[in-house]
Amino acid sequence: MNQKEQREYFRDIIEQHKGILFKVARAYCLNEDDRQDLIQEMMIQIWQSINRFNNQIKISTWLYRISLNVAISFYRKNMARANKNTMLNEQTEQIPTDDKTEEDQQLNLLEHFISELKEFDKALMILYLEDKSHAEIAEILGMTVSNVGTKIGRIKDKIKTRFSQLKS
Amino acid sequence: MNEQELKKLWQTTNQKLEKTLAADRINSNEISQLKVYHFISSMKPIKLFTLFAGIIWVGLGAIFLSHKYLYAFSESNKFFLFSATVQVGLTAVALFVYLFQLITIYQVDITDTIFKTQKKLAQLKISTLWVTRVLFLQLPVWTTFWWNEAMFREWNVVQWLITGSLTLTFVFAAAWLFINIKFENRDKKWFRIIFDGKEWTPLMRSVELLEQLDEFVAEIKPETNAST
Repeated sequence: MNQKEQREYFRDIIEQHKGILFKVARAYCLNEDDRQDLIQEMMIQIWQSINRFNNQIKISTWLYRISLNVAISFYRKNMARANKNTMLNEQTEQIPTDDKTEEDQQLNLLEHFISELKEFDKALMILYLEDKSHAEIAEILGMTVSNVGTKIGRIKDKIKTRFSQLKS
Repeated sequence: MNEQELKKLWQTTNQKLEKTLAADRINSNEISQLKVYHFISSMKPIKLFTLFAGIIWVGLGAIFLSHKYLYAFSESNKFFLFSATVQVGLTAVALFVYLFQLITIYQVDITDTIFKTQKKLAQLKISTLWVTRVLFLQLPVWTTFWWNEAMFREWNVVQWLITGSLTLTFVFAAAWLFINIKFENRDKKWFRIIFDGKEWTPLMRSVELLEQLDEFVAEIKPETNAST
């Protein structure tokens, strides 16, 4: 692949799959500026790895691996700052307000509950909500298919409990 | 809220995200112009400064010491020469290890599975503890560089007791820290005190991440074992 083809291929991938980057970034960064930085970092890593992509795995699997790996590393780097920012400003933004629709409020809550999860649980939950098969989740994360099922069950229960605690 | 409702709710983010994230702020054209994302450019200025300061220190030390060894060995203070050699030598080893690990961290395959990549990254970051261990080994020579031959002829017992116990304390401290600064002691109070501070945050986060990975695996195991 020459340079021009590579650029076009890169642009196509980003255009078709930008939702993956956006969703992963949103789950790992509540702060808007950090999120933009994270997406840019993901794109740089995709650009740098594009030569190594082979068709043995699905493009979405490959993109999830890169974006989650970058997000977890980035999240780790920015943890101290993120903690300070989320303590007051961001978390209050997540609390539903009256002028939002019920769906918006529920979505904010779901995102907030996901943001409370640990790094690996968060990755697993995103993939589950994206309706990925257990086999693909296992391929992205590097665990066995049966373990994916076990773990998802536990995280789902956590999220459901959080929703029911809020209702009661 | 049931599973389907959860998933349906999550799917609505697709449209919302595309509206909220301005596409023009993420320019794929600009990124594709990047030829090489240099290892050096990814480093923070303070780390670069430390690295360059270290290289200059070792470089100047090596020039100075080699001159002494080659042209002024007989009239040099051997205690100073020995202490300075150990100090510069250990700093050089620490610098080499530090640089090697930073480059290795940078070269980790980001397209590999999440567990494999993150485990490797965290382990590499934790292995930078080696740099601290090596640097602590220098402690005793900071108490011996000023020694001289006249001390052996002229000093009394009290003077030797004070100097000797100071050096022995530093030898003991250096050896103890060299042996004990390791991942397994991460929960000890003294470990947390040494590695408290902003510059150690990435390392401590790596420690936490490895613990999280262990927990993750441990949580799965009981049920997996029960089902087999």
